[in-house]
Amino acid sequence: MDAGEQRAMLKEVQQADFVVVELTLYTNTHPNDEDGLEQWRLAIKEASRARKAYEKRYGPLSLHSIPSEQAIEMGWRWNQAPWPWQM
Amino acid sequence: MWVYEKKLLYPVEVSECNPRLAKYIAEQYGGADGELAAALRYMNQRYTVPDKIIGVLNDIATEEFSHLEMLATMIYKLTKDATPEQLEEAGLGAHFVNHGHALFYSNAGGVPFTTTYIQAKGDPIADLYEDIAAEEKARATYQWIIDVSDDPLINDSLKFLRERENIHSLRFREAVEVLKEERDRKKIF
Repeated sequence: MDAGEQRAMLKEVQQADFVVVELTLYTNTHPNDEDGLEQWRLAIKEASRARKAYEKRYGPLSLHSIPSEQAIEMGWRWNQAPWPWQM
Repeated sequence: MWVYEKKLLYPVEVSECNPRLAKYIAEQYGGADGELAAALRYMNQRYTVPDKIIGVLNDIATEEFSHLEMLATMIYKLTKDATPEQLEEAGLGAHFVNHGHALFYSNAGGVPFTTTYIQAKGDPIADLYEDIAAEEKARATYQWIIDVSDDPLINDSLKFLRERENIHSLRFREAVEVLKEERDRKKIF
């Protein structure tokens, strides 16, 4: 596995997830901003897409995602380095 | 409840082993205006505020825990390869004899974290003003750490965190306005 590529794909997930974090805080205090709410909805969709692309190659980032049978056969385990602070 | 995500909120990379910088970053890890204080403060206040602002406290508290993990990653990476002599030279000799290479919730001066840093007053306006002040103090602390840091990679992550404090402060200010509107609306009837 190419660590550089994994890092790049993870960064895409981090970026997409961050947009959700930011827009969630925004919509908390602007509940009637329809444009904001639509951006927030689309951000969640994009974050889901980026996450699926990453997890398909490198395994689940959380246990809300189902590990594939193939991943487990290939030796993927949740309790497997690197953890975020080791990357 | 919370579910662990095997990733950081924002990437943390370090240029080289630098225990002195780690010691300074501890101010935001276990200090009075740091991320642990912020997370615990908001998490506790959320139970006794009006429904309209629970989300702000809940979600900012959650984000603070991800900031805490970023700071832990910085401290871990900056100190993991340091020899006891290097730790001592950096002013972390006392930390080393108590904790070895482990992380601990203390400030830059080595003072352990205490909940006396934070408050929950049961008065939403009083709590929110404390929260705004906390965010501004954290923003200033990040700036002072950036000013004494010469690690461009760490500074990139610290600048991200500094900007988040600005956004949190803004959202808390808006929450105050939400409460004022609610109060004024009630007076009409």
